[in-house]
Amino acid sequence: MITLTIAIFLMGVIVVGLLNKYPKTAGIIAFFVSLIPFFALLSWSSVMNITLPSYLQFLNFETSWQYNLGPGTLILQITPLGWFFLLLLSSLFPMVILFSISYFRSNAGGFYAAMLLTMLGSFGILLAQDMLTFYIFWEIMSWSILALVIRGGDRKAIVSYLSFGALSAMLILFGFMLLYFKTGTFVFAEMHLDASNLVLAAITLIVSGFAVKGALMPMHVWAPHVYSKSEEPFVAFLSGGLSKLGYFGIMLFMYGVVGFSLLSSWGTFRGVPLFGYSLAVVGAFTAFAGTVLAVMQDDLRKLLAYSSIGQLGYIAIGLGIGTPLALTGALFQALNHTFFKAVLFLAAGAVYYRTGKYKISELGGLGYKMPFTFLASLFAIFALAAIPITSGFAAKWLLYEAAIEKKFLFVTPIMLIAGVGAFLYVYKILYGVFLGEPRYNVKEAPLSQLVPMWILVLPLIIFLIFPGWFVDLTAPILQGYEMTAIPHTPYTINTSLAKYNTLAVIFAFIGTLIFAFILYLSKPQEKVDHMDNYLAGEPPELYDYISMHASSKYYEPFEEVFYPYFKRGAERMWEIILAAGEVFGSGARKIYTGIVGDYSIYILLFFLIMVGWWLLW
Amino acid sequence: MVNYIDLTIQILVAIGVTALGFAIGMLFNGIARKITARIQNRVGPPIYQGYIDVLKLFTKKTNISHGWIFDLAALFSVAGIALAFLFLPVAGVSLLSGEGDLFLILYLLAIPALGFALGAGASGNPNAAVGIMRALMTMLAYELPLVMVIIAMMVYYDTTSLAVIVQKQANMHWAIFIPVFFIGALVADMALQGMLMEKPFDIPIAPHEIATGPMVEFGGKHLGALMLYKMMGIVVETTLFVDLFLGGGVILSVSQFGWLAYVVNFIVWFLLILFVFFIALLINAVFPRFRIEQALKFYWKYDALVGLLILIWIFVGVTP
Repeated sequence: MITLTIAIFLMGVIVVGLLNKYPKTAGIIAFFVSLIPFFALLSWSSVMNITLPSYLQFLNFETSWQYNLGPGTLILQITPLGWFFLLLLSSLFPMVILFSISYFRSNAGGFYAAMLLTMLGSFGILLAQDMLTFYIFWEIMSWSILALVIRGGDRKAIVSYLSFGALSAMLILFGFMLLYFKTGTFVFAEMHLDASNLVLAAITLIVSGFAVKGALMPMHVWAPHVYSKSEEPFVAFLSGGLSKLGYFGIMLFMYGVVGFSLLSSWGTFRGVPLFGYSLAVVGAFTAFAGTVLAVMQDDLRKLLAYSSIGQLGYIAIGLGIGTPLALTGALFQALNHTFFKAVLFLAAGAVYYRTGKYKISELGGLGYKMPFTFLASLFAIFALAAIPITSGFAAKWLLYEAAIEKKFLFVTPIMLIAGVGAFLYVYKILYGVFLGEPRYNVKEAPLSQLVPMWILVLPLIIFLIFPGWFVDLTAPILQGYEMTAIPHTPYTINTSLAKYNTLAVIFAFIGTLIFAFILYLSKPQEKVDHMDNYLAGEPPELYDYISMHASSKYYEPFEEVFYPYFKRGAERMWEIILAAGEVFGSGARKIYTGIVGDYSIYILLFFLIMVGWWLLW
Repeated sequence: MVNYIDLTIQILVAIGVTALGFAIGMLFNGIARKITARIQNRVGPPIYQGYIDVLKLFTKKTNISHGWIFDLAALFSVAGIALAFLFLPVAGVSLLSGEGDLFLILYLLAIPALGFALGAGASGNPNAAVGIMRALMTMLAYELPLVMVIIAMMVYYDTTSLAVIVQKQANMHWAIFIPVFFIGALVADMALQGMLMEKPFDIPIAPHEIATGPMVEFGGKHLGALMLYKMMGIVVETTLFVDLFLGGGVILSVSQFGWLAYVVNFIVWFLLILFVFFIALLINAVFPRFRIEQALKFYWKYDALVGLLILIWIFVGVTP
């Protein structure tokens, strides 16, 4: 069945590619094809100790597949970690395709084809049990992303994606080669690694290669360009789903292949492996800097891109700390981020679909015009800002607890302040796009765009009430790393430091809301237009050229304070590295003089050295 | 099986303490106006003026609403601040504080703030938007030194639960008597000044610049709800400070003295939050207002620097 899935995907790619002139038909076909991974996921749920209800028993996908190739075996097999990430991607992907059916009015065949290929690549990556398979599917995914970036048509986005994608692939490939050189096998399960420096170098290379996909600083440079210049449904999938593959890779290699005890053998600092410690510090820096940069953006997509970078930084922190608590938090943050960021990007797409604008300073007042889009993004925003009425809080809470448990005295304040910074940019979205002065008389987004958004909001609410269910999901994953799941019941999580009871929070909140509602109902009210304002005796009719919307340069004092520190961004750093490379390269180029005599001298010198070395040996 | 009698008693106690919190908040509003008036050589309104104001606003005949998003502000601000209060240990009585911890409280405090911001933005008044921008930036500014001190305390006491921190300070082992946390209390008190939006950090309100900022469009019961939020906010924030540094006001242990301990502890808690608020009022009465970037620089340069020293002190002192 795995081969059949892949075959159906490939056929789907060809069919929707040919249906370029019929975007609706192509979209519907792509939607049905895109549901297959989800059914596969359901049939594999026994991996996570979940028994399927009897009416779903007919789903019976095989759990592994092998193919003997000359140098090694290609192995696809479902593992708990792969299942978890497949849950994120396969539930997000059909929703994104559903959204795009009404989003694209023409020229959509190529989009669906490339999207299906991307999903196929991710499917393979998540199931791969050896480095060869992993790398093949990684390349399929990366190149189909490139096709989608090219559809966006922005040169800077294409060049930055291409160069960083190549850098990522090279780093990963080099790491794989070192591992193969060390162990002589491609299969993860057969690798027996030791605490040598070679393995450390390999894992460092691999993790930094995955960090490119996960947009960890300073490897994030491609992300804002690509996120802000590509088509919205694709960006929702890229930010929500595909960026997680980087963290999947980091987790797989750090804890699955290398393992916590081996990581500790390269030195620990206060009970945390140095390797993980540095990853956590990089993650915290990313979380903070991403947040600050997000506050400064005016383009809605760029803001969401930097926010994505910042939120993904939290996952890196969790993976770095590496205790069961931290890993649970990291996985929870990955799940939350998948859904809330996808909702936000889809909402941005819906806003663009109706207004044709992306600049926050040009939007406004859409909350009363598009109430369901607004409410869905409000939920997503609550989850992003970790307000305890969505599941976003539980993830951040687990990470904070993990950091305090390991006494991360300097990382935790940065995490918390990045969390506060998130309030700033989410309010910028709320006010700039949905509140304030109405500038467009538009309708609500079409139903086929609202339904995916609201379906994606559901997990945020379910895991708010039952975070314990999520911890149950992590138990088999942690078991594979010889760790036990953190103590929990369906609605409480206990740590060594404190306890979090969601039921208490929810019931207390409902109680206080009822109290507030009684106060609110105490007197009848009169509804006026929301622009019927007190303006100190200066009616805006007199000054119709004055905008009542204060969203242009909304955080100007903030920018004044922080801009000098962020002026020379990471792009500048890469430019300097590039310039150094050019100097070195032009120096090296002088060897190639183009004179035959010089070359013969080189050959002679080479032989002399070889012979001399052989003689001395 | 849930014990329904116990649950009912707990709910009644929670309602009672919340009502007490709101009552104390309104009283504090009157005290604040009286003290400020006396410092400025005025007579000032009577001490029960807070009750009169809230009663008046909730019984007004005309209530203007700017739409349903605007109404959310009234609901979220009152509900959110009451929720935050329920999760605080008050005078050693931990209502729900065993069910959550300090991080939860810090994030619960964001519910009323964001709800309020939502309503203010929905009113469409540019002054409100500017006020919210200032409020959020002030929040960003004061949170850094505050969380630094809080995290130092969490690591020192090896817990993140506020109830446990209060317990560990029992028998007068208050955190403020530890030298490093005495400095920490000073740092946190500066942050409290911004939290309470008193001068020199009353930037978000700034009546002379942006017409009371976020509140400009609110009137009637909506303004009444916001007043309740602000008054309860004083109680919540000062209680947070007292719980952290002054042992939550617990001086008698309940197991030893029974109901007498509850009475005495509540009185001590009340006096302590009044004292903390009084310090804030004195600073408020004599200082002019900072600009927003000055506030940010004050908190992140000076206050956070001391906070960083505290963190280093704890980092060196606490063995993992």
